[in-house]
Amino acid sequence: MREIEIDAQSKTPREVNHEIKELAKDYDRIILKNPNAMHYLIAGLTEEVEVVIDGSAGYFVGTMIHEAKIKINGNAGWFPADNMTAGEVIVEGSAGDGVGQGIYGGTVVVRKDVGSRTGEIMKNGTIIVGGSSGFMTGLFMMGGRIIILGDIAEDAGESIIRGAIYVLGEIKSLGKNAKVEELDQDDKKELKELLPTYGFDLDDSKYDQFRKIVPRSKRPFYGQESEEG
Amino acid sequence: MCGIAGVVYKDKKLHNVGDDMTKMLNALQHRGPDSAGFSIYGGLGLEDNEYLLNIEVKEKPGLLDTVKDTVNLTTPIKTDEIIPSVENFVIYRCKISLDNFSQLKPLIMDVDKLENVMVLNGSHSFEMIKDVGSVLEIADRYDTRSKMGTHAIGHTRFSTESIVDRYHAHPFQTYIIPDITVVHNGQITNYWKIRDPLERKGHIFETNNDTECIVHYVADKLSSGYSLEEALEQSVIDMDGPFSYVVGTPNGVGIAKDQLGLRPGVMAENDDVFAIASEEVSLREVMDTSNVEQISPGEVRVYEI
Repeated sequence: MREIEIDAQSKTPREVNHEIKELAKDYDRIILKNPNAMHYLIAGLTEEVEVVIDGSAGYFVGTMIHEAKIKINGNAGWFPADNMTAGEVIVEGSAGDGVGQGIYGGTVVVRKDVGSRTGEIMKNGTIIVGGSSGFMTGLFMMGGRIIILGDIAEDAGESIIRGAIYVLGEIKSLGKNAKVEELDQDDKKELKELLPTYGFDLDDSKYDQFRKIVPRSKRPFYGQESEEG
Repeated sequence: MCGIAGVVYKDKKLHNVGDDMTKMLNALQHRGPDSAGFSIYGGLGLEDNEYLLNIEVKEKPGLLDTVKDTVNLTTPIKTDEIIPSVENFVIYRCKISLDNFSQLKPLIMDVDKLENVMVLNGSHSFEMIKDVGSVLEIADRYDTRSKMGTHAIGHTRFSTESIVDRYHAHPFQTYIIPDITVVHNGQITNYWKIRDPLERKGHIFETNNDTECIVHYVADKLSSGYSLEEALEQSVIDMDGPFSYVVGTPNGVGIAKDQLGLRPGVMAENDDVFAIASEEVSLREVMDTSNVEQISPGEVRVYEI
């Protein structure tokens, strides 16, 4: 494996991102030291490369990446992995609002708690939260899956259109167009295969405690299909 | 978009909070380039009846003497200094004594009647520093890094509606009760609904800035017997719009966030320090931030010493 370490100290996000994009052509693994919660890190990286952020990242870390894998050895601010199309963003600490906002694919993992509106307008892909998730998780979600191992706050699945939110802990309240279902065997199998992959080793009995938030209607705003304009 | 921050030392002793807040605000500089401000509590060391006035005075022959004469009509100036600022203004800072706090606002209103003069604030237990420009420019201008205190709040401003000047920089202060200040990120969309009952109670508004409305609101609640936490909780119920704001009082700091959580707020604490800010990058200036907590929509946090 070809690995290189770079230092973000005294550099702008644009300089750091440019350097990483150049290095990604020749290296498999890039370690970024002294990130100091900088915003916009690793924006738009489309190489199959692993980037380790050795500390916390600010807003929009990994926005619009494709195929890149990012590991953050700290916390992340608002909107980590925003609009990602493929790849992986793993946050070892906590994260702010809008985790995985609008993603089209790939996987986002946050080990601890996250803020509000997790997975808002996501179209596909997977978001796993090791802790709890805040207000309006899955807002206007249009596909994919969100898995919350802690509690989920008020208005979960607000205006959800497609996709599913799996919750192990308490569901504070549901949003408009959201309903709760029990998991079927396929759901449990899917979670049992997925979660250990990211280091979440749950007892078998825990998988029986998950509940699933799904849409009540696929057309909650515009009525019947015949009314489509 | 603005940046807000607060820091409290739990041991109640004097620390270099001016330097802490300078670093915290500089880390938030990208959130607001227009102006910046500090309320640094606990380090002034004034006697019980003493107050510090910060007065913006245009550089004009004789005007400073007129200001001094106006203050001296109410109470003799004990000490004073002049701090150079920008745009042909200086900041005249003087120490005075008053028989009671209720005399402070009338004195300020008398001085404000002078043309090209504006009292930025009058305080007993905290030092307010606010001006136009970047955090580091203001820090150099007012030597904020040397200021000692027990706790502080601060702000970097990105103006949305009201004008960019020294007076509209945050923090905003109220004179309903002593030494309450507020820094704010966001908008209060039911501003007039909040302001009207406060004005009917006799509270005086000097601007149309929604942050001034918050500080009067919180002080009004505190003067009605609410705890700081209760006042902030009620504000989240009463106020509409996207906001997070930080309050400083002689005893501590608090943060409140709107019910939809549309403005950021994070906090971290250890055995020594409690800190709140718009972003983690600011908290990192005063402590290890391995455990950063997001302030949830509608949530308030308070730390009092």
